[in-house]
Parts: sequence; structure tokens; C-alpha cells
Amino acid sequence: MDSWQYVILLGACLVLTLPLELVLGARVYRSPRRLVLAMIPMLVVFLTWDVVGIVREHWWYSERYVSGLRIGPMPLEELLFFLVIPVCGLLTYEAVGRVVTLIREPGRLAFRWPDGLVRVAPAGDETTKGTVELHG
Amino acid sequence: MGEYTLLTLLGIVAVVALELLWARTGIFRSGRYWASIGIMVFFQIWVDGWLTKLSAPIVLYAPDEISGLRFPWDIPVEDFGFGFVMLTLTIICWIRLAPDREAP
Repeated sequence: MDSWQYVILLGACLVLTLPLELVLGARVYRSPRRLVLAMIPMLVVFLTWDVVGIVREHWWYSERYVSGLRIGPMPLEELLFFLVIPVCGLLTYEAVGRVVTLIREPGRLAFRWPDGLVRVAPAGDETTKGTVELHG
Repeated sequence: MGEYTLLTLLGIVAVVALELLWARTGIFRSGRYWASIGIMVFFQIWVDGWLTKLSAPIVLYAPDEISGLRFPWDIPVEDFGFGFVMLTLTIICWIRLAPDREAP
């Protein structure tokens, strides 16, 4: 298990941030084109920075805690890091925006799949169909 | 000065300049952005703390390339600059690509 520590850590980040998309309605995974385009400049800069850091020996990785799979000089985990963590960041940014909206909007708080938490107009309105009402 | 320290400082200057001189998304005046950064730093401490703990490190750093300031736990402070630049750059691009954003 030790050699999967870094992978498991990144997996935990994805699992823990998933409710931001599904419950708070971050809509990051559901904007795939925007997500990919937004990540490209960061990936170019940071994959370069990371390779420079590895080649110039600013940092290196414990063989015990990584899988041993590599892309050039870079452990696979490091590539996954640059895919996972910025997505978690965008989920956080979008979720914060959603929470602010939910606090400000009038209406009853409800959970609607696949939107997540929404504010709904009083009963009788068409938009409440298929919605689970939350009380309190 | 260590190269990682230097690159981190250059990165911070570059991403701030990118926002102020070109992207102009207004994030540095946005409570939403700073709240997000606060949350991300909180979680970075746990994740990065695990990666860099000197008792069983996953990532090891050349002492000559960092400032030597490691806090909290054993996290090199440079990592917080690295994370700030990475996340800020991503958020700037994300906002610029918003479907409802008016062309500048």
C-alpha cells in the first residue's frame, strides 16, 4: 500500500470535493470544454516548472511512497497532482459562489437532481416538480 | 537564495502582473476569491503536510534550494506560493472563459 500513498491522497481529494459539484452545484465537471481550456495555461507553466524542479534537483520523490510509473523524469503522481488539485480549486471557487447565491436568494431550500441545492419558489410553481423539499 | 525560493517569488509577481495588466478579472478585489484561497490553504496544509512531513516524506527538498522556513509542520513556505500561483492562474483563466462574460 505504501507505494500508492500519493495516489490515494489525490483520490481522497477528488472524493472529498465531489459533493461541491453534486450537492452545491459547482458545475465544473459539467463544463468540460471550459475546464480543459482553463487548465491548459496552468499545465504548460507548472509541468515545465515541475520538470525544471526535478531536473535541477530542487526536489525529488521517495521511492517508497510512489508507484514508480514515470513520464520522462516526472512520477505519474505528479502529473495527476496538476490535474486533480486545480480542479479541486475550481470546485471550491464555484462552490463558494453557489453558497453566496443560496444565502442571498429567496425561496425554500431544496435538493434537485442533478442541480444540487437550489432555492425554489413557493409550492404550486412548475419549477418545484421533481424536487425534494428540505424542512427547517 | 535557493532556486525554488526565487522561482516562487517570480511566479507570484508574474501571476499578479498577469491579472492586473492583462486579465483584469477583478479577483483580487473579490471576497469570493479570497474566501476560496483561504479554504484552499486550509486543505493544502493537510495534503502538503502529509507530502512533506520529515518523518516519512513523499517529496523531499534540496536544503540549498529552499529558504529553510518550514511551517506549519514541515511544509516549505515556498509551497504556499507555488499553490497560490497555480490556483490563481487557473481561476483567472476559468473566469475569462465564462460563457456569460462580456468580451473585454
